[in-house]
Amino acid sequence: MIKSKQLKKPQLVLIVDDQEINRDVLGMILEDYYEIIYASNGREALDLIQQHRNRLSVVLLDLIMPVMDGFQVLEHVRNDEFLNSIPIIVLTAERSAELKALQMGAADFITKPFDMHEVILARVGRIIELSEGRQLISAAEHDQLTMLYSRNFFFEYANRIHRYHPNWHMDAVVVNIEQFHSVNALNGREFGDKVLRIIGDEIRAFLSETEGITSRFEADRFDIYCLHQDNYQALLDRLQKRVSALSKTANIRLRMGVAPWREDVEPELLFDRACAACSMIRGNYKTHLMVYDEEMRLREILNQRLLNDLRRAVDEKELTVYYQPKYDIQCDPPKLSSAEALIRWQHPELGMVSPGTFIPLFEGNGQISAVDNYVWNEAARQIAEWRDKIGVTLPVSVNLSRVDVFDPSLEERLDALVRQYGLDHKLLKLEVTESAYTDNAEQMIELINRLRNCGFEIEMDDFGSGYSSLNMLSCMPIDVLKMDMTFVRNIGHSEKDFRLVEVVLDIAKYLKVPVVAEGVETRQQLEMLKEAGCELVQGFYFSRPLPPGEFERLIIREKEIERENEA
Amino acid sequence: MTIQELYAKIGGDYDQAVRVMKKDKLIDKYVRKLTASNVGEMLAQAGETMDGTKLFESAHAMKGVCSNLGLVALANAADEITEEFRPGNARKLSDEQVREKLQAVIQRYEDTTRCIREYEAQG
Repeated sequence: MIKSKQLKKPQLVLIVDDQEINRDVLGMILEDYYEIIYASNGREALDLIQQHRNRLSVVLLDLIMPVMDGFQVLEHVRNDEFLNSIPIIVLTAERSAELKALQMGAADFITKPFDMHEVILARVGRIIELSEGRQLISAAEHDQLTMLYSRNFFFEYANRIHRYHPNWHMDAVVVNIEQFHSVNALNGREFGDKVLRIIGDEIRAFLSETEGITSRFEADRFDIYCLHQDNYQALLDRLQKRVSALSKTANIRLRMGVAPWREDVEPELLFDRACAACSMIRGNYKTHLMVYDEEMRLREILNQRLLNDLRRAVDEKELTVYYQPKYDIQCDPPKLSSAEALIRWQHPELGMVSPGTFIPLFEGNGQISAVDNYVWNEAARQIAEWRDKIGVTLPVSVNLSRVDVFDPSLEERLDALVRQYGLDHKLLKLEVTESAYTDNAEQMIELINRLRNCGFEIEMDDFGSGYSSLNMLSCMPIDVLKMDMTFVRNIGHSEKDFRLVEVVLDIAKYLKVPVVAEGVETRQQLEMLKEAGCELVQGFYFSRPLPPGEFERLIIREKEIERENEA
Repeated sequence: MTIQELYAKIGGDYDQAVRVMKKDKLIDKYVRKLTASNVGEMLAQAGETMDGTKLFESAHAMKGVCSNLGLVALANAADEITEEFRPGNARKLSDEQVREKLQAVIQRYEDTTRCIREYEAQG
C-alpha cells in the first residue's frame, strides 16, 4: 500500500537573510529534509514567494535587511489573500522583534545563533504540519472547481446563520441544470465545467448584492441560502442569461426550486423542500421556477404518513382487496368469467385512500412489493374460500409490479402460494403492464417464460398505453391482452377510436390471445366491442370493484342466473 | 595553524561554532567566507556618515554573522553598536564614544579577517 507520506511533494523552504553565511548555515541544517531556495532581501523574497506560492511550505525570514526588511514582507504577505496562508517563521535574537513579528502574523520564531538544530528542525516541521493541516481543511471547505463551499461546510455555516441570526429570514434556493449529463456528453467535460464555473461566479455576484452563502454539491446542484427575495425569477433569468451566452449551439436550461424561510424550519429541511420543488419541474420545458408552498408541504406530509403507516395497514388489515368482475360477452347473456383483485386502503383516520395516491408512492420507494404480496395472498385465500364455501372456482388476476421482476424468489413464492391453497396455477392470473415489458424487455420475457412454465397465465395490462413494437409483441409471452380503457372511452362517438380498437383486436387475433376491454361503462360500448369480436370486458357497466362479501353475493347471483338459463 | 588555534587567536568560541556547524569541515568552510563578507565594510561606511539607521543595520548584520560563526568577541562588540542605534532605544553614548567603539570593532574585524587569511594561506 502506498503510504500518504510517499504521496507528499518535497516540501519547499525559502530562507531569507541578507548575510550569505547565515543563509548557508541555516540551509545546511535543513537541506537533508527540505528543498531550499534563498533570497537575500525582502524584495527578492516576495518575488520568490509569488513564484512558488503553490508549493512553498514555509518562509524563514530575517527581519533586519536592506532594500526591504522582514516586517514589510510580513505585512505584504498578510494582506495578500493568495499568499497569507504561507507560514512565516522569523529569524531573530531580539524579544521585542519576536513579539512584533508574531503580532504581524508570523507563525513562530527561531533565535540566532542557529545552535540548536533539533529545535529549529522541530519548529519548522511543526509549522509545516499545522499549515498543511489548515490547507487540507481549506481544500475540504471549498469545491475546487467553483470555489464555492462544499456541502458539509455549507450546512455548518447555514446552521450557524439559522441559530445565531434568527431575525434573518433566509430562503433556500436550489439550482439544477436540465439534463447536465447530456450537456457534458454533447459538448465535452471541459465545457460542462465552464458552465458550472459561470453559474458559481454569477451566484457569487448575486450574493455580493445581498446576504447569503452558496455551495455546489453533486454534479450540477447549487444551493443558495440567502435573505428572502420576493421574486426569484430575476435571479434565474440572470443565471440563464450567463449560461446561454456561453454557446449559441448548446441549449442549456436551468431550473430552480425555492423554499421560503419559515421560523420553525432548519436549513437542511428547507433545502430538502427547495430540492423537492426543483425536482418537481424536472423535464418540464415550460416551468423553470417552482416555489415550495403549503399544498406541497401537506402532500409531502400525507405521503410520508402513508409510507409510515403501510406496515400497520398490512398488520391491522386496513388494506382490503376488492374484486371487479370480468364478463365473457360472446355468450348471451354475458357470463361471469373471472375477476381482477384491486387494493383499497381504509385508513382509520384518513378514511378511504385512493389507490391513485398510494400506489405510485409505494412504487417510488419499493414498498409496493409488500402491497403486492398482501394482495396475492388475499386473492389466493379468497379463491380457495369461494371454492370451499360456495363451490365456485373463479380465476382472479393480480398485479405484478416492476420491482417484483427483480425479486429472485418471485417464481418460488407464487408457486408456494397456489400450492398452499391447493389451487391450479391458472386460477391466479398475473397482470404485467405493457410499459414494464418495454422497460426491461429481456429480463421480463425471461421471467414471464419461467412463470408460464410453472403454469401461470399472464395478462398484459394497459395494452396500447405503452410503446411496444409489433416485432416485440410477437416475442412477448402472453396469454391475454387487456386493452387500455382510453381506447374504449370514446368508441361511441369517435370512428377513429373504434378503428383503433379493431386494430388492437386484430393484433390479439394475430397473437392468438383473447382481449379484455377495460373501462366499459355503457351498453353501446358493450355492443360495439361484442360486434368487433372482443371476448371479455371489465368495467362499471357490469360492476364497480366490490368488497369480498358483495362480490360473493354477485357470484351466487350469477350462478343462479346461469342455472336458470340452462334449465 | 589548526582551526581551533585560529579561534583562540581571534577571540572566538570554538565550542559555540561546533554547536552551530557541527563539523570542523563546515566551520572551516564558513569562517573563510567572512573575508568575502561585506559586514565590516558596511559598518565602516555607516560610521563615516554616523547614519543611525545604517549603523544599526550593519552592526546587526555583523553581530548575526559572527554569533553563528562563534566569533563571540566580535559579535559582542557589534551588539553594543546595535543596541545603541536600535530604533526606539535611547542613546547612551556620545558620538565621540560611538566613533571610538566603532574604531575598536572595525579594528577587531580587520584583525580577525587578517588571521583568517593567514589561516587560509596555510592551505
